Amino acid sequence: MPAPLVELKGVCKSFREGDRERVVLRDASLTVGQGEWVFLLGRSGCGKSTLLNLIGGIDAPDAGEVIVGSSALNRLNERERTLFRRNDIGFVFQFYNLIPTLTVEENVLLPLELIGALTPALRGRARDLLEQVGLAERAASFPDRLSGGEQQRVAVARALVHRPKLVLADEPTGNLDAETGTLVLDLFQRLLRATGTAMVLVTHSSEVARLADRVLTIRDGGLCEIPRTSGNEP
Amino acid sequence: MRRLTAIFIAAALIGLLSLAYWSVGRQKAPEKREALGVNRILAGAPAAGFARAVAPRRFVFPRDHGPHAGFRSEWWYFTGNLTDGQGRRFGYQLTLFRVALAPQAPVRGSRWGSNEIFMAHFAVTDVAGKRFRYAERFSRAALGLAGAGGTPLAVRLEDWSALESAERPWSMKLSAADPEAGMAIELDLRSLTREILNGEGGLSRKGGRPGNASYYYSMPRMATSGTIRVGQESYRVSGLSWLDREWSTSALEEEQAGWDWFALQLDDGRDLMFYRLRRRDGSADPHSAGTLVTADGASRQLRPDQVQLEAIGWWTSPASGVRYPSVWRMRIPAHGIDLELTPRLADQELAASFRYWEGAVAVRGRAGGVGGSGYVEMTGY
Amino acid sequence: MILWRAGLRNALRHPWLTVLAVIGVSLGVAVVNAVDLANEASQRAFRIAAQTVAGRATHQVVGGPAGLAERIYTDIRVGRHFRGSAPVVTGNLLLKNAAGAASLQVIGIDPFAEPPIRSFSSQFADSAVLAALVGRPGTALMLRQTARELGLQRGDSFSVEAGGLSRKLTLVGLLEAPDELSRLGLASLLVTDIATAQEILGWSGRLSRIDLVLPEGSAGERLLAEIRSALPAGAAIIPAGSRAGALDRMTRAFRLNLTALSLLALVVGMFLIYNTMTFSVVRRRRLIGMLRALGVSRRQIFAMILGEALIIGVAGTVIGLVCGTLLGAELTRLVTRTINDLYFVLEVRRVPLLPGALLKAGLLGIAATLAAACPAALEATGAPPRAVLSRSAIEARRRKSVPLLALIGLLTMLAGGALLLFEGGGIVGGFAGLFAVIIGYTLEIPAIVVLAAGALRPVMAALFGVIGKMAARGVVVSLSRTGVATAAMVVALSAGIGVGIMVGGFRLTVQSWLANWLQADVYLRSSDSGGGRYRPPLDPALLQRLTSLPGAESFSLSRRVSIEGAQGGTEIFSLAVPKDAFLRYPFKEGSARDAWESFSRGDSVLLSEPYSYRHHLHRGDRVTLRTDRGERSFPVSGVIFDYGSDSGIVLMSRVAYLRNFQDREVDGISFYAREGVTSGELADQIRKRGGESRISIISNRELRSATMTVFDRTFQITGVLRIVTMVVAFVGILSALMAMQVERARELAVLRAVGLTPRQVWGVVCGETALIGLIAGLLSIPLGIAEALVLVYVVNLRSFGWTMQLSIEPAYLLQALLLSLCAALLAGVYPSLLMARSSTALALKEEG
Repeated sequence: MPAPLVELKGVCKSFREGDRERVVLRDASLTVGQGEWVFLLGRSGCGKSTLLNLIGGIDAPDAGEVIVGSSALNRLNERERTLFRRNDIGFVFQFYNLIPTLTVEENVLLPLELIGALTPALRGRARDLLEQVGLAERAASFPDRLSGGEQQRVAVARALVHRPKLVLADEPTGNLDAETGTLVLDLFQRLLRATGTAMVLVTHSSEVARLADRVLTIRDGGLCEIPRTSGNEP
Repeated sequence: MRRLTAIFIAAALIGLLSLAYWSVGRQKAPEKREALGVNRILAGAPAAGFARAVAPRRFVFPRDHGPHAGFRSEWWYFTGNLTDGQGRRFGYQLTLFRVALAPQAPVRGSRWGSNEIFMAHFAVTDVAGKRFRYAERFSRAALGLAGAGGTPLAVRLEDWSALESAERPWSMKLSAADPEAGMAIELDLRSLTREILNGEGGLSRKGGRPGNASYYYSMPRMATSGTIRVGQESYRVSGLSWLDREWSTSALEEEQAGWDWFALQLDDGRDLMFYRLRRRDGSADPHSAGTLVTADGASRQLRPDQVQLEAIGWWTSPASGVRYPSVWRMRIPAHGIDLELTPRLADQELAASFRYWEGAVAVRGRAGGVGGSGYVEMTGY
Repeated sequence: MILWRAGLRNALRHPWLTVLAVIGVSLGVAVVNAVDLANEASQRAFRIAAQTVAGRATHQVVGGPAGLAERIYTDIRVGRHFRGSAPVVTGNLLLKNAAGAASLQVIGIDPFAEPPIRSFSSQFADSAVLAALVGRPGTALMLRQTARELGLQRGDSFSVEAGGLSRKLTLVGLLEAPDELSRLGLASLLVTDIATAQEILGWSGRLSRIDLVLPEGSAGERLLAEIRSALPAGAAIIPAGSRAGALDRMTRAFRLNLTALSLLALVVGMFLIYNTMTFSVVRRRRLIGMLRALGVSRRQIFAMILGEALIIGVAGTVIGLVCGTLLGAELTRLVTRTINDLYFVLEVRRVPLLPGALLKAGLLGIAATLAAACPAALEATGAPPRAVLSRSAIEARRRKSVPLLALIGLLTMLAGGALLLFEGGGIVGGFAGLFAVIIGYTLEIPAIVVLAAGALRPVMAALFGVIGKMAARGVVVSLSRTGVATAAMVVALSAGIGVGIMVGGFRLTVQSWLANWLQADVYLRSSDSGGGRYRPPLDPALLQRLTSLPGAESFSLSRRVSIEGAQGGTEIFSLAVPKDAFLRYPFKEGSARDAWESFSRGDSVLLSEPYSYRHHLHRGDRVTLRTDRGERSFPVSGVIFDYGSDSGIVLMSRVAYLRNFQDREVDGISFYAREGVTSGELADQIRKRGGESRISIISNRELRSATMTVFDRTFQITGVLRIVTMVVAFVGILSALMAMQVERARELAVLRAVGLTPRQVWGVVCGETALIGLIAGLLSIPLGIAEALVLVYVVNLRSFGWTMQLSIEPAYLLQALLLSLCAALLAGVYPSLLMARSSTALALKEEG
């Protein structure tokens, strides 16, 4: 078996809310293989986003290990985690989170610039991606001129432009109508599957979950797999 | 004739002084001194109201030793060759110039107001020490800072003074000191001759135009004794001094460039004064003239054609770069005079407000003739 | 850089906020720069003029009130063979011609004594200049530029007024300044021969001073001792530099006060920047979180925020420097006038571009901007890399820090108070204490805002219903921004109040002092004010004519002179005063009744309050003065209030003056009218006998009002600075509140969506801003009063030695309150308009 891409071992995470402590993850473990798509299903506030933040190095666990690729995130400091994120992760958020003061193209170019790889060839890659998400002609527009679906397509392009090993998507279709959501998911299918990019996606739609290789949910701070109900096993 | 010097020094002083003074602290005074030009200042009609030397006058002494208000410029010009007991030779020059800015003294509320300015040059030639020292001073004739007059006569510029000490024989006491230059003199002068009137009964013509002349007399031979201080050392000295007195309002003409002036005391008791005016084209001006005083006190005017003058050695000033004649040959065949004049020091140049060479010379008689000592002044080089 | 582009576009998207921030910086920088320029320009003008005039002199021989006898000079130069000496006669005169009037310093020199001393440089085109200068009466030289400004050419004649007389002078030559420095030094100089100077200044037979160039070391010491031994009792030798130094010292307090005021403007400007930057960060928290999630490092975020601040800072600083230079010219005029009124005659003919002052203000502006932006930048980097962080969380955190801030504020205020109580702190200590109190107080403001808004909530609710309640809550909720805005406003308003109260109190004090001090009915002086405080003496013949006026009950003669010394001049005011007038003098120490006997006999002197304060001399002590009979010590029989001079004066009876100084001159007479004679009639009698003399006859009332005019003029510059500070504050609160409301666009859109009418939304917005304005206004009152107390009892006392009454004029307080309310209301207008214009739907769609 090839080495897993993501490995969480006994991860604990809790938040302070006023005087109370709310435990979100307790001794959670997870493995994601290379190119594997793991979706997290569950109701709001159950800790899905927290898990995503831990994998993305945005948050640090209180206890346990988070290993992504060759990096043990829990041993990295803030700066190292930022660099890791910059290089290895692509984010897609529910609210698109495009930078409002940058054009569509600039938004896509931003990750490249951050890793210091703003070469003409890679600029071309950004173009290609915009082409593939069908927004090449909107390259010079600002995000607020785009519809939600279009913005999310830009976000997908931005998440992929630096060829991350792993894409983390937080309810990417949560804010979109069904049709547009499907469009975005199609993009994922097309662009990620083709390059063998792994993805951890948070959703509360079981419809969406059907695209996953594996579907997990969080229960009492731990992860448990939801067996497939319908038969579209590979 | 250096007296002419004085004129234009005096006039030039006004311009030069301003140059020097207003630019103090920045650098040395600009080197364009001669640009003012001897002739430009002395030539032309004198300011209205000044008296002029037009006709011979009757000289009355001791009164005429004193100042002559009404003329624009006047000087008391002392030079001398002195020796101490060991034979150490010195030359000195103490010159007091009076320059009037206006013919009359103004009526003013302030006692500083004056129409007269005094300038003085003081120089000591230390032959053995091979050093020539000089200093220059200016002051206005006010508040006792400077002035000339009184009985007995007193001519002073601050603490440099020439004071009459006896009327007969007419004697003067000179004192001057310049601590910065490191020199001082305290000398008693006693005249050995009567007053010698130069030119036409004391009227010395310097140019063709009437009025371009001065009143000019000399005391060519004054027995001198006293002390000279150079550096830290004082020397008791004695020797002979020469006093030239001259006053005028205008003298030089446009085409005259400068002059060479000689005052020689010969060992046989004769005294010789001769000035050669040089024209711009280098030739000698016909108004050059001189006076020969015999040992018995009789004086004889010398015409330029009687005197053969030839520069046989030259010296270039390292300070100004100007080339002066250095060794002269002077012949007056009619009087059996054939002399070679050699500076006791080559460098006796005064780079004061007006630059000129004035220094002690040794006088050697050629072909066994009589020698002596004297002073030479050269301007306009 | 794509990241930088984002920051730049951010600034461009909110042009108003950016512009206001830039204005804030530029105003602060402009004021600092302007005050600096004014101070520097006047000081430089004086120093350079003093140096140019002093030349290479190492020492100066100075005399008593009547100067030095000429003999002293000839004695030094000829008698003692000391040629490093030059006589100087100097004074001031007024040149008037078609091109205007200029006060010039005459310096009369003896050109022949000059060469070792001064370096006025010039190239005369011909040799006639010196001859004319020395040989012709009434001739003068001046700088070519000055001549051009005055429309004069070589050979022109012009009229000057000096010593109350008008004279004609001829410009016989022009001075050329070889460099900028000499040009400055020579700009207000009229060079004449010493004879001419004596004649036009009426100083025949006397010298103002003798400049000496003494060698260094023991030779110099020996010469100094020798020359000193030759001087008469009234003369002294002082180091040449001491004059300039003493005058520097004299105006130091005045300049320091201006600088402090200007720094206050900068502090307010800093608040503004802090506010702008913090707001800009808070507003972009989400964006910053997003960037962090994408892998933008903290350092990059920090650099981005500081970069933005730098752009604002540089833009503001550049504009500020330009405005400051313009303002500086105007301030220089005011400063110069004040210096002329209070200290000495000074003419600043042009304000040079001072690279030092520009650099200082520039660096200060940029540094202040960066410093003010630092907290915001730090906060931005502290933002966790998460896309969503609620604003309430930040504000909750802010609120938590309120008690801590309050505590720190309290400690700072206590430290400031201690500093103020520490006598040895001097003026600087006073200002440091004052600033500490101000800063400490501002730290209390968030706490007070929370309390006040809470307390006002029921009131607002009662007055405006739910809307009012919402506004009150809004203030507390958005404390993170309102706190700073309020603090900035409070600082500026309180400065306005403090300075206002101080000046008002000062004014009242001076008024009541004048009532006691000026008791005669008619005053007569020479009309010449070219000498600043010192007037030329009156014609003795005139005095003779005036001593037997039918309308005058009695009169007193006075003379005001300055005795030059190494520590500067000591002003001696001598007067023959009637007993009843004396008895009404305002005594601080001792009493008129007790002092009268010895004072009138000439056995004791009085000191003015500043003199007593500066020299630590009190009643019963002895004061030593250099008289024409040598050093004399006089018992002090009292200290009186006097607001005429901050250097202080020594009062002595005319009897004592005549006994100790060889100066019989009188420069002022005051007349007491006989019963039934009005001051107008008395003045007419004087005028009739006045004859040709140029005198000014002025009634008690006119003199009082003239004095008050000078007073008001003195504080004009303070007023200007106060206004500028207020403007900065105004802009500050405007931008802060506006920013806050702009940010709330979405929230307001929600309010609109749920059914608030535009008018109601306006109510919420303006209610909130008005509340902040009201709180700021109210808070500024106690601080303003505290500042006034410090200014009156610490700063002014230490600066000038003056005690004054404190009178709290309600007008100043109301003014402050009104100003803050206006600014606050105005700040609400723009967002309200914005709301009314934009569509609710669009605002809702834009994510918060």
